[in-house]
Amino acid sequence: MTRRDWLLQSYLGLGGIALAGQENPLAPKVAHWPARAKSCIFLFMEGGVSQMDLFENKPELVKRAGQRMPQAGNTEGEIATFSAAPNRIIPPIAPLRQWGQSGRWMSELMPALGGVADELAFVHGVKVDNNNHGPAVYHTLTGNQFPGSASVGAWMTYGLGSANRDLPGFVVLGDRRGATIGGAGVWGNGFLPAAYQGTLFRNGDTPIVDLKRPEGMSEGQQRAELDLLQWQNEQHRAGRTNTGELEARIAAYELAFRMQSKAPELVDLNGETAATKKLYGMDDPISEPFGRQCLLARRMVERGVRFVMTLHGAGGDRWDDHGDVKGRIPKHCKEVDQPVGGLIQDLKARGLLDDTLVVWASEMGRTPFDNNLVTDKPGRDHNQYGLAVWMAGGNVKKGATFGETDDFSVRAAGSPIPVRDVHATLLHLMGLEQDRLTYLHAGRYKKLTDIGGRVIKEILA
Amino acid sequence: MWPWVFLFAAVVPDFDREIAPILASHCAKCHGGTSQLSGFSVESRDLVISGGKKHGKAVIGGHPETSPLIQMVKGELNPQMPVGKPLAAKDVETLEAWVKSLPAEDSSAKKEWRWPYEKPVRPQGKSVDEFVLAKLKAKGLGLAPEADRRTLARRAYFDLIGLPPTAEEMAEFVREGDFPKLVERLLADPRYGERWGRHWLDLARYGETSGLEGDGAIGNAWRYRDWVIEAFNRDLPYDKFIIQQLGGGDEHSQSRNNYAPNVQGHVPLGFLRLAPWDRSNLVADEVRANYLAEVTAATSSVFLGLTVGCARCHDHKYDPIPQKDYYRWQAFFNTVQVENVTVPYADEAFAEKAKAKIKEIEARLKDGPEKAARDAYEKEALPKLVARRRELAAGKPATIADLRLEMRRKEKSQFSRDEQRHYALVKEDADRTGDPEEKAALDALEKELMARLKLDPARFDVLEVTDLRAEMNNRQSKVFSEAERERHGELTESLQVWQRRLGRWQPVALTVKNVPGPPNGPAIAPVRVLLRGDYRLPGEPVEAGFPTAFTGKAEAAKLETDRYRQFPTRGHRLTLAKWIASKDNPLTARVMANRIWQYHFGTGIVATPSDFGVNGERPTHPELLDWLAHEFMDSGWSIKAMHRKIMLSATYRQSGENPAWEKDTENKLLSRFPRRRLEGEELRDSILYLSGRLNTERGGPSVFPPLPADLADFARYGRGGAAMWEPNERDEDGRRRSIYTFQRRSMPLPMMAAFDAPVFSESCDRRSATTTPLQALAMMNGNLMHEEAAQLAKRVAAESTDRTVQVKRAFSIVLGRAPSAAELERYKGFTGDLAAICRVLLNANEFLYVE
Repeated sequence: MTRRDWLLQSYLGLGGIALAGQENPLAPKVAHWPARAKSCIFLFMEGGVSQMDLFENKPELVKRAGQRMPQAGNTEGEIATFSAAPNRIIPPIAPLRQWGQSGRWMSELMPALGGVADELAFVHGVKVDNNNHGPAVYHTLTGNQFPGSASVGAWMTYGLGSANRDLPGFVVLGDRRGATIGGAGVWGNGFLPAAYQGTLFRNGDTPIVDLKRPEGMSEGQQRAELDLLQWQNEQHRAGRTNTGELEARIAAYELAFRMQSKAPELVDLNGETAATKKLYGMDDPISEPFGRQCLLARRMVERGVRFVMTLHGAGGDRWDDHGDVKGRIPKHCKEVDQPVGGLIQDLKARGLLDDTLVVWASEMGRTPFDNNLVTDKPGRDHNQYGLAVWMAGGNVKKGATFGETDDFSVRAAGSPIPVRDVHATLLHLMGLEQDRLTYLHAGRYKKLTDIGGRVIKEILA
Repeated sequence: MWPWVFLFAAVVPDFDREIAPILASHCAKCHGGTSQLSGFSVESRDLVISGGKKHGKAVIGGHPETSPLIQMVKGELNPQMPVGKPLAAKDVETLEAWVKSLPAEDSSAKKEWRWPYEKPVRPQGKSVDEFVLAKLKAKGLGLAPEADRRTLARRAYFDLIGLPPTAEEMAEFVREGDFPKLVERLLADPRYGERWGRHWLDLARYGETSGLEGDGAIGNAWRYRDWVIEAFNRDLPYDKFIIQQLGGGDEHSQSRNNYAPNVQGHVPLGFLRLAPWDRSNLVADEVRANYLAEVTAATSSVFLGLTVGCARCHDHKYDPIPQKDYYRWQAFFNTVQVENVTVPYADEAFAEKAKAKIKEIEARLKDGPEKAARDAYEKEALPKLVARRRELAAGKPATIADLRLEMRRKEKSQFSRDEQRHYALVKEDADRTGDPEEKAALDALEKELMARLKLDPARFDVLEVTDLRAEMNNRQSKVFSEAERERHGELTESLQVWQRRLGRWQPVALTVKNVPGPPNGPAIAPVRVLLRGDYRLPGEPVEAGFPTAFTGKAEAAKLETDRYRQFPTRGHRLTLAKWIASKDNPLTARVMANRIWQYHFGTGIVATPSDFGVNGERPTHPELLDWLAHEFMDSGWSIKAMHRKIMLSATYRQSGENPAWEKDTENKLLSRFPRRRLEGEELRDSILYLSGRLNTERGGPSVFPPLPADLADFARYGRGGAAMWEPNERDEDGRRRSIYTFQRRSMPLPMMAAFDAPVFSESCDRRSATTTPLQALAMMNGNLMHEEAAQLAKRVAAESTDRTVQVKRAFSIVLGRAPSAAELERYKGFTGDLAAICRVLLNANEFLYVE
């Protein structure tokens, strides 16, 4: 073994050798309990998905379509809506029907997802702490409605390290139409060390910033430069003590050099068959972009990336349907249905679903009533109490449902389910316990679930 | 003996028979075999006694009153257990009896951590070294030998100005070796403020955008940034530094006839505005509660090293901060009104510059090339809009839109002037109020008018440029193609960039004001304790007061209100500021002395600089810290005096290598100078500096260094197409020091983020120094490195064409030394060009680390 190889192995925490306190922060760590899921694909639908149009069957809304919302009085002061009275009920924009053995209600607009309904477990009536996109997005993705906390992906990578040595442990696949609210803040490391921040993968053949060698530089040239650099660093190291961090940096350069060949291979979809691409909806220009993101997500978990944040919706194309629900929601559905349904099917077919936790979430649900913002084209308002989340894979109980919203889908019919319960459950499904996954910051042992959430056992296998 | 045993058995509960069943049925679900929340388990007697993570030992033998187990089931400690279902009184009694029966322990086993709240007593001692050596000697260690001059110079330069010495400066110091002189020179260097100001901006959670929806600019935060830099440069006494940031605009009326507070005081007050800000939140109470909470957490942690944030919802679990104290602290800020204030530029030269700049930009907006381009485009597009609308409407029945067009016609309208005016009023009322009755009136009127409406194709002639712009923003436009709309968006954006630049030059400061209060304004609602921190659950009202942990009593603070009693809302913040910035406050001087120490040595004497509480690290050298705190106060709170005290010590000047380092591997005893990696800003600034291309302009609106090429598409925030990142007016703006770069919360520069720059959203008291491949990628392939290494090569090549001379020169510029014979040999044999050599040196550990 050359010294270079030795350093690299030590940095990666392989073979039981570690550089004094300076091993790769992403070296794999032992989970708190032996969960099945090893990776997580988090499908985040930005803007606030309408739970009653997609996932919750509320006959009352059909019956009272166009009538004044009877509970409007009660909701006043609770849901901070943009609405001006009167609030008229909008029925589901398309029929819902039951799918699969589990009889899961889902919109006809989501046939591909309906086809894998029996793989999914739903949680209804999830509550976030704020009725606005900014804080709600942060709350859903970092556990805190204000910027500055660590992303759920950062927590998982912090807790488990990464199984892949040539790629980042936490990858973000953005919507090419624009940045999400909060931008880097929602995949940031917050108070955790920078090594746990999400790495944004861009479109094109150089997915990571600065991955590509500059114009006109060959691999050989760079290798020669790197050899000189490492020789220089060896000169520097010799005669010094306590050199763990210096050696770690030498290793990090070698790792970076290797990433340059591994990461482009990851995003090169030429090796995927036409049938696979079709499965992900990539044959249709409307679903192609998200299909590509989902296919990339699969390729990542195949290679041991720990957490893939897959974002859908940006700017005017978010699920923020204050107007024209009839025109807009079917379009959002078309963009994601085949890609997501295809992803579940593909993971299953490849035997990856058991090792992968797939999550679907948005930052909020929507109201059953019109918010009167667009004349003649009714739209739904924000509803911080009505979020629907589903999970699949790992130890998730297939076809399970926990919680439901009331007859009008305004808020949970039983006790509300705070979003920290969802976080606690996600951690649990990845083998992590919320109370053991802590980081001392500003005088507190911070955790993703803040004051602690309840693991939703009802949806565990 | 028998009767005694009998008695014992009757009164004292047996753990297995009586205690375990209670715990098993009420607690085991969360604290049992499968789940041990908070690390607490009731599986066995020993586990129950040893307790969980939050409170440590749960049972203190003989003392139910101080045993957390009992306190929690009785609700004396939050949260009451079991959650939602308190134990029956009988069960509680049984538990108490059991604890009482256990062998008595010292009830003060859970000792309070009082040190932070007790005023430091000046310890015996005359120098930093005395305290450090005492600890070292006790362990049979000593300081490392003094570092060589080269190392020392590099250390001092990076430490004080965040940049390396030039080759010439290095040579001079190596020749002279006058370290005190060097320290003085660097302290007087204006770049000192740019380095130490950055430390403070980390603490002040300095960012320039809301961080939330839209992530728009929150105001001219850069005014605060420049104030901080300048405050460090002129060594503004730290007590004044605090008072100005909390009490600006809050001082007494200057005279009976001059009530105005000093308007310049609003600039430092920006401290109270720097946090992320949810401008789209619709619930005013919530916004206010969140604002007060943030300001409370920030002020207490930054100035006092206290973490009171958790007391928003409940009594602090570890430190003696009751929830009520948290709201009493908030009450000092209850008179705050979030509003920006026009503050003229204090510096005359800068004021002149800004004035000229504003004039120039206004002219450009009025008739510059961007304006002309957009006007021309719109002029050309307007007839198309009219024609196409007419075309689309042909043969269709009349709609409300047609009516509205007809109503806008000034000439030849079928409706009279009065009818038009009447319609406009009714419509305005309905739109503004959203009231159903007004809406009904409008509907009725429109219905009546529609019945009379005769469609005239000429109605489309009223369309004007605002209609055009609306159509250009319509994503479903049937008039303009996507390409046309995009082009219009670009033209508009290139104009709006100038509008934003104009805004940044305007002398408006990001700050707060006081509400007037009675008799000048409406009464102010008192601050109330919020149950569980929820703005919807207000509890008892509280008055402004200092934390009881310091004062021992929960009385209201005596407010220093305006001496002419004209402005009763004035003086609240000032009262708090003066209490903090006082020699009587046990924490203020210690906390800042510790921060200064940390920025010199990498680790503070208290390693958790914003948490001196129970959960924080204990001081490694408490006497030294107390001594420093006294020296600090006695120097008139001079930060520069502290630098001298620390940097001239042998402790600071020692080498990074101590032969006995293994006896102090973590360097807690300071047996060597710790090696540290350059921070992101130091790295970027130094690369630019060494290439000779750093733009050294100081102050003013923030700049936008170029983003990596294809991150640009992600930099676009979809809605409205507003760019998250802007081009600079001039190329060289992108090469200014990092402290002057725009801090967009959702878009940190990737290289900065990779090198552990803070997220600018929460106060950052200490930076991580991670080692990752992404850093290596930025340094191997990044644009900055490539351009600047090439520039450096050019600079070197201009002096000599001889490779040996070039290598020597590159070494002395980047590393401040000559290459060894072996190095010279190796570099001569290297096949790459001079730029490649420069890249290697700029990537070398010797460059990236300071020792």
